[in-house]
Amino acid sequence: MAELVLDINIRGWVFLPIVLITFLVGVIRHYVSLLITSQKKVELTQVQDSQVLIRSRMLRENGRYISKQGFYMRRHYFNNEENGYFKTQKRAAPAQTAMPDPSMMTEMLKGNVTNVLPMVVIGGWINWMFSGFVTTKVPFPLTLRFKPMLQRGIELVSLDAAWVSSASWYFLNVFGLRSIYALVLGENNAADQSRLMQDQMSGAAMSMPMDPKVAFKAEWEALEISSHKWALADLDNEVLNVLLNKSIK
Amino acid sequence: MTENKESKETKFKELVSYSEPALRNNSSVVEYCRTSMSALSGCTAGILGLTGLSGFIFYIFSVLALWGLLLFKAGNLWQKYFLNRHSLLTGGFFSGLFTYVLFWTFLYGMVHVY
Repeated sequence: MAELVLDINIRGWVFLPIVLITFLVGVIRHYVSLLITSQKKVELTQVQDSQVLIRSRMLRENGRYISKQGFYMRRHYFNNEENGYFKTQKRAAPAQTAMPDPSMMTEMLKGNVTNVLPMVVIGGWINWMFSGFVTTKVPFPLTLRFKPMLQRGIELVSLDAAWVSSASWYFLNVFGLRSIYALVLGENNAADQSRLMQDQMSGAAMSMPMDPKVAFKAEWEALEISSHKWALADLDNEVLNVLLNKSIK
Repeated sequence: MTENKESKETKFKELVSYSEPALRNNSSVVEYCRTSMSALSGCTAGILGLTGLSGFIFYIFSVLALWGLLLFKAGNLWQKYFLNRHSLLTGGFFSGLFTYVLFWTFLYGMVHVY
């Protein structure tokens, strides 16, 4: 396969602009989504529930560092049959209505506006604007199977699979720049398109808040079977050993 | 309970208690390092004009080098900062690979194709 020689102008007017456009669109999307997302309203009881669950989990995990009495006192507070927290708190299950509340709908719409729309619009625009260019060559050999993936827009049978068309160069950029966004914009930025897929998948689960009753029940069970095992029982000997070893050395 | 039968050494190791936010901060810092490293090594590979297998070997070399540097920086106290050395090496391998391939292709195209 003879080497192709590409026009220098393709580099200046196709290759570089696609990189710049992809990157800057990601940055713009981040700031636009910062601009239009509204602060989520949280109900007081919800916060309380989650904090209690966190406290109980910490007690289960790190309970061995507090005294036996302390541990059982805390467990009693949560699990006591008559007036323990998990026993007395009766939370109504969230209404299982078919129609989620309208603010959720606008949230989802906003998410779609900042995520789907730019991807479709910019992708389509790049496809139209830079169609038909062979932009670059990936520096590793690829099998023929990659041809339709990497050479979208140029139907040349004899072209080596390593050459990349402009549309495919755009998609390479979209995937490769993901971690660069994390570097430039900080974590949890909105430029990442993979989050969009997750949002769509968990969309149904998110619109219905978790049932606190079930969570309480599970936590109650977990706490009930956890017993106290003091981690620091042998601490004095341990410390003496360390000190002795040090003084010997 | 087999706990009592275990030797002092392992028992002392079991007592590891860690702070979740600090660990998360450490891993995000490492993630930053990894992204920068894969971008920079991608640039290097592109400018050098590595092709084919040698480029991927160069990536693996850069990951190993970063691991070595991180462990060197942490010194003997790496247990203080990370839970295990293993995930420090393997974590984020493929997302780093994407970044690496992008920069590699980009600079290879800029320098060697045109």
